[in-house]
Amino acid sequence: MTTVTDLAAPPRLARVFAEAVVTARLAKPRDLPDVAYRLSGQRVDRSHLLAYQRICGFPVNDLLPATYPHVLGFPLQARLMGRRDFPFPLPGLLHTTQQVTAHRALTAHDILTVAVHAERLRSHPRGRLVDLVTEVTSEGEVVWEGRSTYLHRGTGDATAERDERGPAVPEGPPAAIWRVPRDIGRRYARVSGDVNPIHLHPLTARAMGLPTTIAHGMWSGGRLLASLGHAAYEPSVARLWFRKPLVIPGTVEVTYATSGPVRIAGVRSRTDPPTEIVALSLSPLPA
Amino acid sequence: MGAAPRRAAILGGNRIPFARQNGAYADASEEDMLTAALDGLVARFGLAGERLGEVVAGAVVKHSRDLNLTRESVLGSALAATTPAYDVSQACATGLEATVLVANKIALGQVESGVAGGVDSASDAPITVSEDLRRILLTASRARSAGERMRALLGLRPRQLVPAVPRNAEPRTGLSMGEHMAITAARWGITREAQDELALASHRSLAAAYDRGFFDDLMTPYLGLTRDENLRTDTSLERLAALRPAFGRGEGATITAGTSTPLTDGASTVLLASDAWAAERGLPPLAYLVDAETAAVDYVHGDEGLLMAPAYAVPRLLSRAGLALEDFDLVEIHEAFAATVLATLKAWEDERFCVERLGLDGPFGTVDRSLLNVNGSSLAAGHPFAATGGRIVTSLAKMLHEKGPGSRGLVSICAAGGQGVVAILEGA
Repeated sequence: MTTVTDLAAPPRLARVFAEAVVTARLAKPRDLPDVAYRLSGQRVDRSHLLAYQRICGFPVNDLLPATYPHVLGFPLQARLMGRRDFPFPLPGLLHTTQQVTAHRALTAHDILTVAVHAERLRSHPRGRLVDLVTEVTSEGEVVWEGRSTYLHRGTGDATAERDERGPAVPEGPPAAIWRVPRDIGRRYARVSGDVNPIHLHPLTARAMGLPTTIAHGMWSGGRLLASLGHAAYEPSVARLWFRKPLVIPGTVEVTYATSGPVRIAGVRSRTDPPTEIVALSLSPLPA
Repeated sequence: MGAAPRRAAILGGNRIPFARQNGAYADASEEDMLTAALDGLVARFGLAGERLGEVVAGAVVKHSRDLNLTRESVLGSALAATTPAYDVSQACATGLEATVLVANKIALGQVESGVAGGVDSASDAPITVSEDLRRILLTASRARSAGERMRALLGLRPRQLVPAVPRNAEPRTGLSMGEHMAITAARWGITREAQDELALASHRSLAAAYDRGFFDDLMTPYLGLTRDENLRTDTSLERLAALRPAFGRGEGATITAGTSTPLTDGASTVLLASDAWAAERGLPPLAYLVDAETAAVDYVHGDEGLLMAPAYAVPRLLSRAGLALEDFDLVEIHEAFAATVLATLKAWEDERFCVERLGLDGPFGTVDRSLLNVNGSSLAAGHPFAATGGRIVTSLAKMLHEKGPGSRGLVSICAAGGQGVVAILEGA
């Protein structure tokens, strides 16, 4: 039986991360804790929405971009993954894929209940994967669902069944170039609360075993979705595959393609041959 | 009247509520606001994914990076990315000029549909480096050696580092618009009481229009605002009379903050089309843009008041159309200041002005005050410079439609630089 904990306010993430760093080396259980966290009756903080719209390149308006509820659910995810009985230490976890299902357009006036639980702990060739599921309801109706898959790097299982690989980053000349500034990790951390040290500074990133700082996957994913224009607000399923880190500062290329009703977008390196960094597919909601 | 090949219909419009400077839209950019106004229009008229003939809009105070402001807004909107767009700028008449430009292309058959609009932010204002610093930086960037660059930069003084903020002053006279208006108000003997009464009427009429739902299909809420932030439903003649003069000196100081438009943020749009395009989509025209005229005056040498150009434009337009002021069912005169409206009305009743300046045989005529700005105007709604034209055109088109086919409306908007744009609308 899942234990649901109702929170009165979003957890303070700097503290969650600090505790998680301290407890990172403690022995961890093999299995997921059977818990869920819930925040009820949340009103959208307009100044926070505006900061999110600005940093990802969405127009400033009263609509919630399809990726925005993820930011509302992330503090709950961090709280859950920061628990001592969570199988992996929170700092250093890599976000590998994200799926968001927007059942209807959401506005800044909607009052939302956000709930998060973990499931599908499984092996991966490079470690183990876990899904954090975020469900957003409004007036008793599920309006938005998110599934975030995180990789704990470690002893893997080469024979493990792979998740769906997703579309390739579209080929062809770049449709756009992004010049990603050095401080984007710190700036997005301020908006999203995701103060994972791999995004903040080269030294803290190195401490986590990465060569240097990398951008948040959900920043590049949000920006990619924003670049698709109005589709970002319509009922849809958006899926993101974070294939390789976007090292910051850096300049990357963006490409687009359409496959029937599905729009594909991708970010790749400027090298020859290019390295795929992020792929996005945006599909209409199945009827 | 020039015989236009066909008529340009006004099908409707959409704006966001206007916010006071540093109010609800303090952090919104002009592109954000124009996109929001456009998206509201697209939603109201079912235009998502449509390619329109063109979108024409502009802003008066614009960031240099926003050189393609309107096109960028179209790309951010739900319109098809294949909809062309361009920016125009004619000070406070930008929105009306944009409407005339779109209407002309429709009349000529060059486009079938289009959106005219305007946006301005007094909050998210561009800040530039001082003129001295700009010249020093340009010289340094042209330098061919480190020594030359160093010499250029040695000319820097701390006070040149103070950034420059746009000012509401005429470049050639150094006088603010309010100071110019104070001179004109004194010249025409416009009293403090008359100005306060006009301001009160503007607030009351706008409040009444909101109360009967007039704006329900003309406006999309934005960033939590559902009506114009500047509207004061509780103002009174006593309150207005208690305000201290803001412009002018001594006895001539009659203009207060209550009788001047406040600095405002906002955006507006107007949808225009040919009859055929409208019929194809089952969108009934509200009104037609019949004709327009622009006048300019020499205010630089004190020959005429800065905001008096419409006093010249309207008689020229009406003479071409074979109409008199009495032929209009509704008159909209933009309230830059209460005194602007009153000085214009007084000039048209003044025999000497009309004979000497307008070349008429006698007084031009009198505007029936019960037909003037009947749903309030800029004193109450606020005045985001380029957005005012779209606000007035859309409201007037709707009012004329309510009055019925053949009803006539006049729009008059004064602008910085001593210019004025005026237009005739006919109800559909």
